[in-house]
Amino acid sequence: MLLAVAMVAVLGGVYFVTSRIIATEGDQLIALEAQGLAEDYRDRDLDAFVTAIADRAEDPWVRGGVYELRGPRGDFLAGNVVVLPELAVQPGGWAEFEVAVTRGDANASRRIRARVVELGGGFRLLVGHDVQDRGAFRAVMLRSIAWAVVVTVLFGLFSGWWLGRRIARAAHAIGDSAGRIASGSLGERLALTGSGDEIDTLVSRFNDLLARVESLTTTLRAVLDSTAHDLRGHLNRIRGAAQDARRTAVDPEQAAATEAVLAEIDRLGTTLQGLLRIALAESGTAPLEDVNLSAVATELADFYQPVAEPGQLTVAIEPGLVVRGHRQLLAQALANLLDNALKYGRGTPILVTVRRDAGLARLEVRDAGPGIPVEYRELATQRFRRLPGSSGLPGSGLGLSLVAAVARLHQARLEMSDAGPGLRVVLGIPLTRAASA
Amino acid sequence: MKILLVEDDRRASEYLAKGLRELGHVIEQVFDGDGGLKAAETGSYDVLILDRMLPRLDGLEIVKRLRATGSGVPILILSALDEVDERIQGLRAGGDDYLAKPYHLEELAARLDALARRQRESGSISKLLIADLELDARARRVTRAGRKIDLTAREFQLLEFLMRHAGQVVTRTMILEGVWDYHFDPKTNVIDVHISRLRQAIDKGFERQLLHTVRGAGYTLTEDA
Repeated sequence: MLLAVAMVAVLGGVYFVTSRIIATEGDQLIALEAQGLAEDYRDRDLDAFVTAIADRAEDPWVRGGVYELRGPRGDFLAGNVVVLPELAVQPGGWAEFEVAVTRGDANASRRIRARVVELGGGFRLLVGHDVQDRGAFRAVMLRSIAWAVVVTVLFGLFSGWWLGRRIARAAHAIGDSAGRIASGSLGERLALTGSGDEIDTLVSRFNDLLARVESLTTTLRAVLDSTAHDLRGHLNRIRGAAQDARRTAVDPEQAAATEAVLAEIDRLGTTLQGLLRIALAESGTAPLEDVNLSAVATELADFYQPVAEPGQLTVAIEPGLVVRGHRQLLAQALANLLDNALKYGRGTPILVTVRRDAGLARLEVRDAGPGIPVEYRELATQRFRRLPGSSGLPGSGLGLSLVAAVARLHQARLEMSDAGPGLRVVLGIPLTRAASA
Repeated sequence: MKILLVEDDRRASEYLAKGLRELGHVIEQVFDGDGGLKAAETGSYDVLILDRMLPRLDGLEIVKRLRATGSGVPILILSALDEVDERIQGLRAGGDDYLAKPYHLEELAARLDALARRQRESGSISKLLIADLELDARARRVTRAGRKIDLTAREFQLLEFLMRHAGQVVTRTMILEGVWDYHFDPKTNVIDVHISRLRQAIDKGFERQLLHTVRGAGYTLTEDA
């Protein structure tokens, strides 16, 4: 569009300047001829001058000249037009008028631009030129310019549409792949169009990036797995030794000490397990399948029901909402949320809802407890972070971190807000295509 | 029972063997995959304990080969790889149970017990009986001393699980996995509360208590306690 505006401006300028030049040059020619004739009038005697004008006027359409000479009493002396009596033009002024011309059978009207000069002694002379072609030239030029603009605009629109479509297609492909990659299929690559253009370059750079991400993730996962394997092995040996020591302990003090060691080992094991679960969710390598989120939530609420006070835990779950996910991790995330609500909600009502919301399965857990102050909400999802005042309650500081990691794995947003009073935690997980239809 | 333990971590193997021997089991230890497969093929065991990652021959590979020869010996896979998905792999390969390291000896012993017992009794019996408590899995009906007991679907499943393991110790984790298929620690004492509800339903008002707590291990449903 901008291109079209610029074109109109430039061509408009050209048109304006060109017609100005043509008009000025034409007028100069007329003025020069009129001046030359006025000098002739002064230099020659009147009869010779009249004859000269009559000669010039004889074949007016060959040279395109128009003349009319009038005497002091307005009498016609020579010329090829009769317009002076009707023209209200001061001497030295310009006039434009139409003259009917017969050429062969065709009657045409020509446009004339003329100058009227006072020759002295009451004689007046009109010198004019045919400017019909000037107008024609201007019209042709205008038409050409209009066409140029129209063609340019059409071409611009078409190429814009075509380019836009190509870019949109490439962007779509990249976006779709990014989505799939974000949910774990790191082997994904974009297809090259083979045209070698900018989009192809972009795609191939994107693929390089993917290869790099995949190799980093694979390495990280391998390191994680082998470290986890190693740590678990060590922990297992320590536990074996401690358990052996406890069984053989005769001294009650010794027995109590080994009991404490065992408890610490178990806590360490639980923490390690928690961290590894978070790492699994974050690595994006956990295999996903279609999971009925409604069923998972219903079962989990049912599972926790006996731990809650009678009537404390209520559910409002829309059945049959299926998401692409990891059942165990989703269940564990929800379990952590329920566990938190039961622990920190201090006996206040807890509501679990699952409902459809614009292509998402919206899972919400809310309590009416003290909630989490705004400034701590972000912090609460970080590993080992526990909120002030919760040190007396059991917990590892990994619960919400896992929820956040599971949310990321499912391309879901984790939102915490004030339920006034209490905490509301919302996970919006994209529904599968079949479920959202 | 007679147990084959294939575990390359010698010290872990020693502690485990010692602990199991103290519980009255006969343990044969092998420290690599090849030897493990050979021993499993030639010897006769009530149950196999296989480490998941073994030198020379992977634990999963041993399971596959044994199953390919038609061996139905119960196999418990021990692994330091503990993710739900690893577990699924292990069970798919033909393992009967999967336990992650570090494990509690009580947990392992309970699971071995359950595995060996399952081998002897078919799990398809639909009428289960312990003392005067009767459960008809097909009719989904429970009676105690001839009186009908109303249970929720989950309570019924929980009772069925306990009855199929009657006389054995079942751990909280076994219940969590067997009844709910949850593979995480629910933190709070949810299982205990479910058990106490079930106990209310089946034992309340009866002189003889059937559902017992085993300290430090889990629960057992038995008439002789």
